[in-house]
Amino acid sequence: MTDVGFTAPKKATESRWQRVVRTLLYGDNVDRNVKAKARVGLAIIAFVAVYGIIAGKLVMFALISEDHGGRRSVGQDAIATARPDIVDRQGAIIATDVKMPSLFAEPRRLIDVDEATEMLTAVLPDLDAKDLRDRLSSGRGFAWLRRELTPAQQREIHRLGLPGIGFLTENKRVYPNGPVVSHLIGHVNVDNQGIAGIEKWLDGQGLAALHMAGLATDRLQKPVELALDLRVQFALRDELAKARDKFSAKAAAGLMLNVNTGEIVAMASEPDYDPNNPREANDPTRINRLTTGVYEMGSTFKALTIAMGLDSGRMGLNTTFDARMPLRYGKFAINDYHAQRRVLSIPEIFTYSSNIGTARLALALGVDYHKAWLRKMGQLDRLRTELPESSEPIVPKRWGELNTVTIAFGHGLSVAPLQAVMGVAATLNGGLLIPPTFLKRSPEEARAMAKQVIKPETSIKMRYLMRLNAEIGSAKTANVDGYYIGGKTGTAEKVVNGRYSKTKLLTDFMAVLPADKPQYLLLIMLDEPQATKETHGYATAGWNAAPTASKVIARVAPLLDIAPRFDLPNAEQSILVSNRVAR
Amino acid sequence: MMRILNILVIAALVVAAAYVYKIKFESTLQAERVAKLRHELRRERDAVAILRAEWAKLQAPLRIQGLAERHLKLKPVVSAQLGNFDNLPMRPTPAPPPNDPIASIIAPAPPQETTGSIGIPGAPR
Repeated sequence: MTDVGFTAPKKATESRWQRVVRTLLYGDNVDRNVKAKARVGLAIIAFVAVYGIIAGKLVMFALISEDHGGRRSVGQDAIATARPDIVDRQGAIIATDVKMPSLFAEPRRLIDVDEATEMLTAVLPDLDAKDLRDRLSSGRGFAWLRRELTPAQQREIHRLGLPGIGFLTENKRVYPNGPVVSHLIGHVNVDNQGIAGIEKWLDGQGLAALHMAGLATDRLQKPVELALDLRVQFALRDELAKARDKFSAKAAAGLMLNVNTGEIVAMASEPDYDPNNPREANDPTRINRLTTGVYEMGSTFKALTIAMGLDSGRMGLNTTFDARMPLRYGKFAINDYHAQRRVLSIPEIFTYSSNIGTARLALALGVDYHKAWLRKMGQLDRLRTELPESSEPIVPKRWGELNTVTIAFGHGLSVAPLQAVMGVAATLNGGLLIPPTFLKRSPEEARAMAKQVIKPETSIKMRYLMRLNAEIGSAKTANVDGYYIGGKTGTAEKVVNGRYSKTKLLTDFMAVLPADKPQYLLLIMLDEPQATKETHGYATAGWNAAPTASKVIARVAPLLDIAPRFDLPNAEQSILVSNRVAR
Repeated sequence: MMRILNILVIAALVVAAAYVYKIKFESTLQAERVAKLRHELRRERDAVAILRAEWAKLQAPLRIQGLAERHLKLKPVVSAQLGNFDNLPMRPTPAPPPNDPIASIIAPAPPQETTGSIGIPGAPR
């Protein structure tokens, strides 16, 4: 049988047997010629299709192949995503990313688990052998063995030549200044996600979303500029640590605010922690006392009360209040620490820090006025900044006259110290309440978001009072030669078991510099300072917080470009008279 | 005629194929170079980051203060040590040389040397 498909079958020569087979196979009366042609056509189409697909695939390969090189290298790094650098206002690095190799295993591809365990523990002795063996024999596709190797360790492990063991470079967050900028900056976890401070705020700013999309792998992100000045921060922290040692205080905290922009130039709370070792941060004694804690601020709050009186328009600097007798309220008697037993004018109330006088002043304006004033000054609502940690002020539920009396001199209302600083800054900077920020901000931006809460004239009177207090009052110990500072001390008794304790004090001091044209407001706060020989047995703010502030100012004023001036006239001349403000 | 045309077309095809192959080969080379450079850039950038971190660590105020306290006898600046040019006193004008005619005849005085500028009080600066 030859050419069955292509030559026409000759029926005549066909045997009977062949005919039967043909009828069974093709049916009767079928022209096999036509059928064969159709088959050839089908084969052609099939071949064209197959070759077409091959050609198309080739074109695709040619187009895509260029991506392969790039994709391979991306796969090798950046599991923990990159974060932008954080720099201070001068450009010094506060936080940055460094690439570090991490060790992983693909247990399925391992040949000899025992050998691998032995060799790896030889290079990394602190790796637990049993745990390592379990992980290697788990049969999973991927397992981390150790994050953040040193380059030397990486080289040694690489030289072992183990199959199924590899490295991934990861971003590790590094804080070159260690504990100096701890609470403010916060820290990250092992996956480079911010879990506290500015780092957490950064994640909330869309960085987390970028991470999810896998886009934040490169370090080409713009650095974040803080308002912080590293040099000032360091000086402040250094002096706080010394003061904490000297007065055996439980804690010391300090904050420096630019009163015209609301920028926080330095913020430290001792004891602090090293963000490179965030485990320390869990210790409850290491909280940030300036934003996370709330405190009764003591006499520094009198600045707000007196500003209220002066701003009400019903009182001037010459208004007097009777401070001859203790103020009796039910079973409570309000007394003065430096009792004068006479009628005091407002500057005298401020410089003698008279509780009776301030309380009478607040009562003269009434409870509702006082409450509305404190709300306007932002003392009754939770203050939110970039830092995720914040706490609500503790406001008395039923606010009666007794509450107004005590709150007037800083007891009975607990606020975050940062909040109090914001309020006092508003009384000094010309009457603008500016929400404080940790990020760099220009004076124009600050002015756009500021709220005028008091008259500029009241603000000038407040500057006068602050300076006067440094000339004749309790802030004398804070004076620094050449810097025209003003200030207010505050000593609050801490509440122990529901009663005010005479021995456990919280002292604070607010200093404004320079007092005639305020630029910065400094807060120093000491928790339970002890009396020493040098302080003649006193533990009030004038003996510990104010001298600490003086040391800080002497160190930071040159850094903040404040030129020393000598032989300036007294407060009345340089502030009231030169601004043409009547008493 | 037809045969020559066929030969020409085949030749053109071969040339075109060779040319395309050459372009493709070159582009692969270039792509490899780009990938290599990109990799190098990344490595350099990482190295720069490490150096910057190290530099920041070295010039951290905490470390500098520790070193200064251990090795230097410097003390913090006090405000009285800071000044500006406006507070600088004027340099006094030198006294005129004593006029002694006999002495100048015996030994002529050496010429006066001026080592710095002398401010004139009241002149604009």
